[in-house]
Amino acid sequence: MIPAPVLELRAVLPLGVLALGAIAVLVLDLVMLDRSRLFGRSVTRAFVGTLLSLTSAVFLIVVLVLGVQNLVHGSTAVFNVANPLVQLDPLANFGVLLVAGGTLLVCLMSVAYLAELDINHGEYYALLLLSASGMVLLVSATDLLSLFLGLEVTAIPAYVLAGFDRGRRRGNEAALKYFLLGSFASAILLYGMALLYGATGATTLEAIRQAEVASSPLALAGMGLVLVGFAFKVSSVPFHQWVPDVYEGAPASVGGFFATTVKAAAFVALLRLLAVALGEGASWVAPMLAVLAALSMIVGNTMALIQQNPKRLLGYAAIGHAGYLLLGFVAATPEAYAAVLFYLTAYLFMTLGAFAVLVALANRGHDLERIGDLAGLAKKRPALAGALTLFAISLAGIPPTAGFLAKFQLFAAVVGAGHVGLVILAVGTSVLSAFYYLRLPVLMVMREPEGPPPRLHLASGEWLVVGVCALAVVTLGLLPNGLGVDSPSLLPPALDWSRDAITALLASR
Amino acid sequence: MIPIAHVIALSAVLFAIGALGVLVRRNLVVMLMSIELMLNAANLAFIGFARHHGDETGHVFVLMVIVVAAAEVAVGLGILIALFRNRASVDVEDASLLKW
Repeated sequence: MIPAPVLELRAVLPLGVLALGAIAVLVLDLVMLDRSRLFGRSVTRAFVGTLLSLTSAVFLIVVLVLGVQNLVHGSTAVFNVANPLVQLDPLANFGVLLVAGGTLLVCLMSVAYLAELDINHGEYYALLLLSASGMVLLVSATDLLSLFLGLEVTAIPAYVLAGFDRGRRRGNEAALKYFLLGSFASAILLYGMALLYGATGATTLEAIRQAEVASSPLALAGMGLVLVGFAFKVSSVPFHQWVPDVYEGAPASVGGFFATTVKAAAFVALLRLLAVALGEGASWVAPMLAVLAALSMIVGNTMALIQQNPKRLLGYAAIGHAGYLLLGFVAATPEAYAAVLFYLTAYLFMTLGAFAVLVALANRGHDLERIGDLAGLAKKRPALAGALTLFAISLAGIPPTAGFLAKFQLFAAVVGAGHVGLVILAVGTSVLSAFYYLRLPVLMVMREPEGPPPRLHLASGEWLVVGVCALAVVTLGLLPNGLGVDSPSLLPPALDWSRDAITALLASR
Repeated sequence: MIPIAHVIALSAVLFAIGALGVLVRRNLVVMLMSIELMLNAANLAFIGFARHHGDETGHVFVLMVIVVAAAEVAVGLGILIALFRNRASVDVEDASLLKW
């Protein structure tokens, strides 16, 4: 008889809460759609949207609180010690915070936007929560099986979200490209996992490291294919073609979700894969990652220079940022890994803020499709223009913002590991990126307004998200450690938490 | 008993056919089937290795992959139908609004 395993349910609590939230939103939507009334009163579509968004927000806040609590205590929960598929350690909790925080902001900024685009369907929130639950699985996966499931549970709702505006051809096309390239990448990744399993006879990351990947050609091929699959997911050149197309074609709120939350989860999973499954004895992987990083920085930042669509520009910019982040994996020191986590946090707020401004500027059922339409925004909407300027400055890496501190930390760690040439390239492309980022404020301030006036009323959710992101970009830049470890509830000590997460990860293996 | 090398060779061939199909063919339905072929090539490799190692993890993996593949195909066909409604074509070359 097989003994019953001892299960630690705390390890899957965030996952369960998010999955339950998705089901709750679906059922709530169905009930209200059916009756169009609540407690005997008839309700409007807009009210249903607001209610569903707030319901999702409640579930996400529960997960955020769980994540903060776990990080403060520095606790680690393994779901099943005998067969560790899921492990909620500080790194996973850091990832959970990024995922739940990002998804929460996306939920809040979408309410009025979906109504504006006339796609105010409840499934949107359910898909967001489902995708977020996949990301939580992804960041806490310690086994190839849970890693694959996490990637797929993240991606499948994301394909639907990309084409959520299904009456529009661009939305269809974005969904199609995302789906084809995403599932192609998943298949490659899966085949790599099969080869790894064949070579090592195990699927846990820990066992794969002990079997020493570099010792067998089969395992090397497997790990190579897995890394190619991940390169797709984190949008690194030469596997980047889908990124600008998907960000442009998908609704702006969904684009923001892909650019920040999905990407952060993929990077956290890649970090765990490289740090645990490869360990120190993997010098063969650094040159490969260095090539990917250099290509991503060059291609992403150069192509962004000539873009006329703001969402597409952010897509190419995201490729450039993926290049910077990959530098941290080339260095592969604890400092570099911690800097990657901090960079992901800063990147989440500045990019999501920029997308939130685009969401707020959606007008008459359309996203803002040309950068030229930003002209004169400083006169029409000074607060939004100011916020977008702040995000652009931060994305370009100019002090005193979060973007500067994050880049500084990362580049310093990479130089510390001896990769000076790569950092010179990174600084060079950063300077290049300042051209296209700073073009936005110049347009908004120097040019006279033209084209149709912006929407008269901004929803409170949009103001809230833009405000929170702007505040986070400034505070992360000035006070990266919040007000100290004693009061994490007020301002989280992001920098300390990123270091603790890496220390715990490296100590546990 | 079939030696492991034969199983892996077959799965590698299937995977290559699937990958080529995705890269070469331009009909969306065929591309979808090619992706399925790639996933099933991986499944075959998992089963072969599981028998080779005398370990049941590979079998569990395959069951999960089958479920995931089913969900993926459902979403893929949904996207395909949405696309077909808007432009009455299943050729990827026609999906070219977004470029550069």
